[in-house]
Amino acid sequence: MSCSEFDLKGYILKELSQAEACATEAHAAGCGACREELDRLSLTLTALRAVPEEEMPRRIAFVSDKVFEPKWWQAWLNSGPRMAFVSSVMLAAAILAHGVIRPVEVAGPAPALDTAVIEARVNREVALRLDPAVKQAVTESEARQAEKIQAVVAAAEKRFEFERQADRVQVEEAFNVVRKQMTRWYMASAEVGGAR
Amino acid sequence: MIFREVEDRDLIAKARRGGVDAFNLLVSRWEKRIYNYLLKLAGNREDALDLCQDTFLKAYQNLGKLDDLGRFAPWLFRIAHNQAYSLLRKPKPESGEAPEFETAAQGGRPFPIEMTLAVTAALDRLTADQREAVVLKIYQGFKFEEMAEVLGCPVSTVKSRLYTALDLLKNTLAPIKTG
Repeated sequence: MSCSEFDLKGYILKELSQAEACATEAHAAGCGACREELDRLSLTLTALRAVPEEEMPRRIAFVSDKVFEPKWWQAWLNSGPRMAFVSSVMLAAAILAHGVIRPVEVAGPAPALDTAVIEARVNREVALRLDPAVKQAVTESEARQAEKIQAVVAAAEKRFEFERQADRVQVEEAFNVVRKQMTRWYMASAEVGGAR
Repeated sequence: MIFREVEDRDLIAKARRGGVDAFNLLVSRWEKRIYNYLLKLAGNREDALDLCQDTFLKAYQNLGKLDDLGRFAPWLFRIAHNQAYSLLRKPKPESGEAPEFETAAQGGRPFPIEMTLAVTAALDRLTADQREAVVLKIYQGFKFEEMAEVLGCPVSTVKSRLYTALDLLKNTLAPIKTG
């Protein structure tokens, strides 16, 4: 009967760690039951290994047959480790190229906003764009006003001319009436003076 | 051992590209071990040889699915294990013939025939799971983790099967001396 805390079968099968094997050996050196158990196990293994391996009745060999051979792409696809290797190489190359081509951006604190500069820039932009627009609008407005004034003046002159013509006609008619009246008065006075 | 592994990796890589010659070289390295493993599972040479051929054919077809080239041995034995259990699950025709385990005695070994017969008989008394655990550990030299990978079960199950089998074999092959 061996001591249960020692794995004698693991020891005889060489499955123990070096420390465990040393502990088992040290124990077996002073334990008759375990030593006997080890002897029996060793004898059992020797007997089992006494049966040699048999030679094969005939050898196995495969003949190359194009029909059953995998296609080049099947061989390629079936090669998982190779695909993984190629993928990792491509990924590494892409990372390297990215690192080389792209300039390194130095991360720093964001610059403080200069409101005076921004305001001056805005004013300059406004002045640059607003003044011409105002000038153009003023010019156009003045032109439109001049046209209107000109049209109004022309209409007024036309109306004044028409009124002046009407007044002249009226004055001439009134003068003719007065002259006719005076002529009549003159004739009347002449008749009166002749009669005397 | 390291050189052997590196060379196997090269052969696997060539075989993946369709190199039948490279795969044949790989087969020549492993066929004896696979054959003897299958012989102890199947119990006769004819089935073992058929299973061995099926195992390598399947390995060639699925070589691209092997993720870790350093784990080729457990992967190959896993295929062999599956092939053997596919066969063992099929009902066998009644032949009346005894298993061929005793034919191992024809090999001309330095140990007496009685020893071989006693070992064969002791192994035959184990369950199939226990016998396979013994074969993978004692005859193929796998570690517990590799055995778990081949058998598709936890390491604790592997240890339990193997330790129970060793107790049974020990009682048969190395009985306690009385008197």
